[in-house]
Amino acid sequence: MRAPEVVTPVGVEELAVLLGRATREGLSVRVVGGGTHSGYGSPEEPDIVVSTAKLAAVDSWEPDDLTLVVGPGARVADMEAMLSERGQSMVLPEHPGDATIGGVVAAGVSSLRRGRLYPTRDRVLETVVVTGDGRVVRSGGRVVKNVTGYDLSRFHVGAFGSLGVIVSVCLKLWPAPPASATVTLSDPGEANLVARPLAVLQDREGTRLYLSGTDAEVEALTSRFAGSVAPGLDWPEDPDGPWRWSLRVPPAFTSEAVDRLPESWDYVALHGVGEVRAASPDDEGAMAIREWAESRGGRLVVVDRPEGQASFDPWGRPPPGLDLQRKLIEAFDPARVLNRGFLPGGL
Amino acid sequence: MDVIRRLRAALGDHNVMVEPLELHLYSKDASLMRGKPTAVAFPQDTEQVAEVVRIAEQTGTPIVARGAGTGLAAGASPTEGGIVVVTTAIQDIDIDPDNRTAWVGAGVINLDLSHAAAPHGLYFAPDPSSQQACTIGGNVANNSGGPHCLAEGNTTSHVLAVEVVLAGGEVAVFGSAAPDPIGLDLRGLVVGSEGTLGIVTRALVRLLPVEPGIRTLLMGFPDVIAASATVSQVIASGLVPAALEMMDQRMTMAVENWLHAGLPVEAGAVLLAEVTGEEEGVESQAEVIASIARANGATSVEIAQDPEHRALLWKGRKSAFGAIAQLAPDYYLHDAVVPRTRLVETMREIYAIADRDDLVMLNVFHAGDGNLHPLIAFDASDPVTYEKVRKAGDEIVSLCLRNGGALSGEHGIGLEKRELMGSYFEPVDLDAQARLKEVFDPGGIFNPAKVLPQGSRCFDFAGGRPPEGTWV
Repeated sequence: MRAPEVVTPVGVEELAVLLGRATREGLSVRVVGGGTHSGYGSPEEPDIVVSTAKLAAVDSWEPDDLTLVVGPGARVADMEAMLSERGQSMVLPEHPGDATIGGVVAAGVSSLRRGRLYPTRDRVLETVVVTGDGRVVRSGGRVVKNVTGYDLSRFHVGAFGSLGVIVSVCLKLWPAPPASATVTLSDPGEANLVARPLAVLQDREGTRLYLSGTDAEVEALTSRFAGSVAPGLDWPEDPDGPWRWSLRVPPAFTSEAVDRLPESWDYVALHGVGEVRAASPDDEGAMAIREWAESRGGRLVVVDRPEGQASFDPWGRPPPGLDLQRKLIEAFDPARVLNRGFLPGGL
Repeated sequence: MDVIRRLRAALGDHNVMVEPLELHLYSKDASLMRGKPTAVAFPQDTEQVAEVVRIAEQTGTPIVARGAGTGLAAGASPTEGGIVVVTTAIQDIDIDPDNRTAWVGAGVINLDLSHAAAPHGLYFAPDPSSQQACTIGGNVANNSGGPHCLAEGNTTSHVLAVEVVLAGGEVAVFGSAAPDPIGLDLRGLVVGSEGTLGIVTRALVRLLPVEPGIRTLLMGFPDVIAASATVSQVIASGLVPAALEMMDQRMTMAVENWLHAGLPVEAGAVLLAEVTGEEEGVESQAEVIASIARANGATSVEIAQDPEHRALLWKGRKSAFGAIAQLAPDYYLHDAVVPRTRLVETMREIYAIADRDDLVMLNVFHAGDGNLHPLIAFDASDPVTYEKVRKAGDEIVSLCLRNGGALSGEHGIGLEKRELMGSYFEPVDLDAQARLKEVFDPGGIFNPAKVLPQGSRCFDFAGGRPPEGTWV
């Protein structure tokens, strides 16, 4: 098979023209940021790869408004480093690696702080996309509260670029409180001593509680626990391995989900959220976990897998409303040129 | 008439209203715009809603969903006629304390949900001022806000799944209690769609734990500028209070005259701040806010000493609109939003518009997130004043847009702001939204003529011919 052509547009207009041409000529296009979320779904081999690397500029950062407008190709890590100088955060994944803003938004992956500060979806205020047929469509706005028209800006979160290539995102920033601490717990249940912690994470090493607030607050709260207290927030890396998974269950089933993972699986469980990030050497036992998760209204999603291993659907049972989803995608990408096969149901 | 006969057969005679007085009662919501419904239907469950949708579709009759009718943008006014579907009979609440969620019928009143969740130590975060009357169905339709959405976000952040009756009477459930439902987020699209994509009959909502500590501060300032500066500096300090609400002097006087809550009527602006958390935390947070307020020249800083005192202060805020009755028989309440950094200049310009036209303008608003609610008190029976009020309203919205704002922060577009959509979005943006509407509602029966202006779906797209020299 011919290797796809890689194009790195320097502007929105160039991208719009390219997609207009792809639509007319029936060429398939895959959008790539940092390449960290390319293991999802069953994407088709594209004719053209569009890199967002040169759509990476900061359009505006208003520290007093707590908003950031940025291109999709900006690296999450670079942006967080910039924002931290003013004590602010986008509340996106803590260890993003090479992940870009566009990639994180398109894949809909979230921060470990999501139980307290909400998932990525709730941090998006405005998006501009180029649709599959080359229209430049804006939705939402650069204010923190907005119900002007359909909530299309957040609809792009987790859509894997199927509705359009994200070319600009406005994110709601959050101020970092002056003090924080990480507390070792003997059991996830111990976290109930605090009403709304920043996060309660469990991995093979144990359970940790993350707190932030004023100095007096953090000091008083940590004194409630017998376990060791470290200043600051020591976030774990996502588990890594040949197979990577996202296990999603109603929050009350988080402990049971952890108990069901085979010994060979590494994991980080987000208590109170119901998300378990896992990695494993092979896929043994995965179908039993999926069956259990789906019986509880949850999911076991393949995040990454070794090449050529596609013996089962990476998403599991198809979600409801597939026909509507297909029609919605066609409204934005009539010739279906963009990122085909990433979404469940072969969309 | 066929529609009425079929509705009666489906719902029973007593659940279909057709008498002139009844139709008049349901001919508008809390906005100033009235329609003329053919019938008002009270389905008792989801299946009956589906039946009404099928009848509407088969007879080509518009269908307008309505909860308590507290909407201010005419979203539930049947301005195109047709069937008003009142969801207030769908009243079930099923709380799952372990998952901190609840399946809630569309007709459940917002405050009743929090009351039902209270024995489990839980509450529903969105709290519009109308929360004693407005329904969950309406909150979902409008993606409603409220003072406590500053820290926790609007309704969309608290809806995990929706049960919705779609075109054809199909009942679907989008979303789940488990995080990150797979595929396109149809749940998120339905929230805030103002009944134009389908009718939400139930919602799975997130409930938050009631935090043990709470402090409510009432601070008086010489003027709106000093109060606004306090708002900015509080947020810059790393604190996002649960709520940060402002009232100007005219509003404070109107409320105090009626409520006698001891509000500082001599202050040019009053800021109501609330912090929640652990007992040890809220004390120190309140101190941070109080010291920022004093540094900005606060003339008074009062911290509510007990739950009754706190309730009284909030009653002053949430009943502010009721207090207007002593000034004029009617009021026009606006909802616009600007970036927080543009708050002060926007307020100045808004007052200038009111002063120029001799209008009685009062302000009470969500200062923390830049969501303004300028209110003009007037007598609607005077057509000259009415016209002046309407024009001033348009000017206020335009000025908010010029200052980088949006058309609505929490009330929705409905019919009220439909024609202004073109001043906020480009034709290509509106066309995309119109395509979305078409996918859900090809027959155009769900709340027609709302949200999108006529002609939105006529953007002429040339298909992006490449300019000379471009990469191809």
